[in-house]
Amino acid sequence: METTQILGLITGLMFGFALHRARFSRCGLVMRGLAFRDFTMLKVMLTAIAVGMVGAAALATFAPEYAHLKVKSLYVWGVLVGGLIFGVGMAIAGYCPGTALIGLGGGVRDGLLAVLGGLLGAFAFILAFPALEPVLMKPLDLGKLTLHETLGLPYLPTALVIAALLGGIVVWLNRLEVKARAQ
Amino acid sequence: MVTERVEVRTQTVRETAAPSRSALPPWLIWGGMIGLVQIFAIATVQPLGVSTAYPQLVGWLVDKIVPGFAESQPYLQKIGAKIGWEVMLIIGLALGAFLSSVLPGGRSTPACDLPNVYRSAWGRGLAAFVGGFLILFGARLAGGCTSGHMLSGIAQLALSGFLFGAAAFATGVLTASLLLKRRTG
Repeated sequence: METTQILGLITGLMFGFALHRARFSRCGLVMRGLAFRDFTMLKVMLTAIAVGMVGAAALATFAPEYAHLKVKSLYVWGVLVGGLIFGVGMAIAGYCPGTALIGLGGGVRDGLLAVLGGLLGAFAFILAFPALEPVLMKPLDLGKLTLHETLGLPYLPTALVIAALLGGIVVWLNRLEVKARAQ
Repeated sequence: MVTERVEVRTQTVRETAAPSRSALPPWLIWGGMIGLVQIFAIATVQPLGVSTAYPQLVGWLVDKIVPGFAESQPYLQKIGAKIGWEVMLIIGLALGAFLSSVLPGGRSTPACDLPNVYRSAWGRGLAAFVGGFLILFGARLAGGCTSGHMLSGIAQLALSGFLFGAAAFATGVLTASLLLKRRTG
């Protein structure tokens, strides 16, 4: 195996272990989360994003040779329509592409079925790509925009402020939940 | 090696801290751990992203059965029908979840912990399959999923990540609320 393959496997093992311990093998975690009946999904996601945000900006600032960042292009129609389709699928499956594999690894039948559906969906997209690209992916492609560059703000301070904001939301969601449980 | 060390350490933290009232809640421990995995991924190869691996794996498999398929498809030429970092990542994801479920502290997961929403096991299975189809089709159209656009995109302050997150949550919240209402109503 090549080094990048081994690194992919190691990263996946850690990511999968953490997602399973955070209970993402359960479809109900995502469904209840999206219906705002359980904030666990949001709290895990926002915590992970905040930590990653500070880490990415710190790497880019203090050790740029280790900052393998990859900002995705903002092609408005594709990102918007893809996101809208994604949300419907996530709610009815109770999984996203990553957590379906957590269900599968955790021995859940629904995880296996979601992965199989996902492979078919990916196959359909491969075939549909030549027709979709000129309509939804090529027009209105604004490029690899970031919040701080667009607003002309320094990277690390902006990341620290937004991460603190996300941390604040997590604390607030947690308080709401603790209060609701106490009643 | 790295995996085992990290896992053992966090597990001892959780086990030794579990009985006390001031223990760190699991969502904080594991959410923070996912953030650290993200930093590891960025420092070594690239930010976390899961959904690219699906068409890569499909392309690789179909190309074995129908030689020349990968070369004939523009999308596979763009992303590569290969077993690289991305496909190894999703193999690791499933294996990591399996390890978590069999190691101490892991719990078995019910088939679906909201069975009443779909009224029958058959209906629930169909929903998982159709939902799986939609998340991959949508993610590939948008260029990323929960990990690539949200965990990684928003963490890099990418505007595409914020737009994807807003769009996915808009229809996700609407659909999930309707489904759960159907159960109680």
